[in-house]
Amino acid sequence: MKVPKIQTVCGFGCGSSLMLRMNIEAIAKKAGVAIEAFCGDVGTCLSNQCDVIFISKELAERIEDRASVPVVVIGNFMNKAEVEEKTLAYFETLK
Amino acid sequence: MEEVIHFHHILINQHADSWEDAIRQAAAPLIKSEAIKEAYVDSMINSVKTLGPYIVIMPHFALAHAAPSDAVKRSEISIATFVEDVIFHSDNDPVKVVMCLACKDKTSHMKQLSLIAEKLMKEEIIEQICACQSVQALYELLNQ
Repeated sequence: MKVPKIQTVCGFGCGSSLMLRMNIEAIAKKAGVAIEAFCGDVGTCLSNQCDVIFISKELAERIEDRASVPVVVIGNFMNKAEVEEKTLAYFETLK
Repeated sequence: MEEVIHFHHILINQHADSWEDAIRQAAAPLIKSEAIKEAYVDSMINSVKTLGPYIVIMPHFALAHAAPSDAVKRSEISIATFVEDVIFHSDNDPVKVVMCLACKDKTSHMKQLSLIAEKLMKEEIIEQICACQSVQALYELLNQ
């Protein structure tokens, strides 16, 4: 399995996307999956090369139609169970 | 103990007429301590108007922030709790806690934010934050 490049996205790439990124990195570490994660902002995220985008529900509507990679929508960035379930489900698609 | 949020950046039991007012109130200590200028508060409010209430990243909790800019002199965080429900028109409404994140650039606040993130991932943390009836109690909860 190649190392997936995960982009977490919020309005500016420095606030909530950073929290989501840290959450996903912790989950990947626990699951023993190597990932590369970085933050992006909603305005430019589609031009950043990545394998998947994790984004909030409100912002997803702005990019879903145009994204060329899978878009994972997160309702509660700080809910471990939700982020873990969706992150692990994404890892499953890589196998 | 590593200080995540300064004592004088904490407000409790505030009253806000609207979500805009709630962000202004939560940001007021940052203006007072000269971490940010008023323009950054306007940016935080405008970002919700343009991008929607995505800053309500978990139930009852909004993380107000805007793009790094010259209006930020120091990367700092402030927090305010509200007595009445604040409506952001998000699925995670009603909001009871507003945190303001001032970022000077994209990285200088990472350490501070990661410490906050760890706390926010704890069960029932929002209930605990709202239950604090003194600035001292909330200060201890967030910095312990």
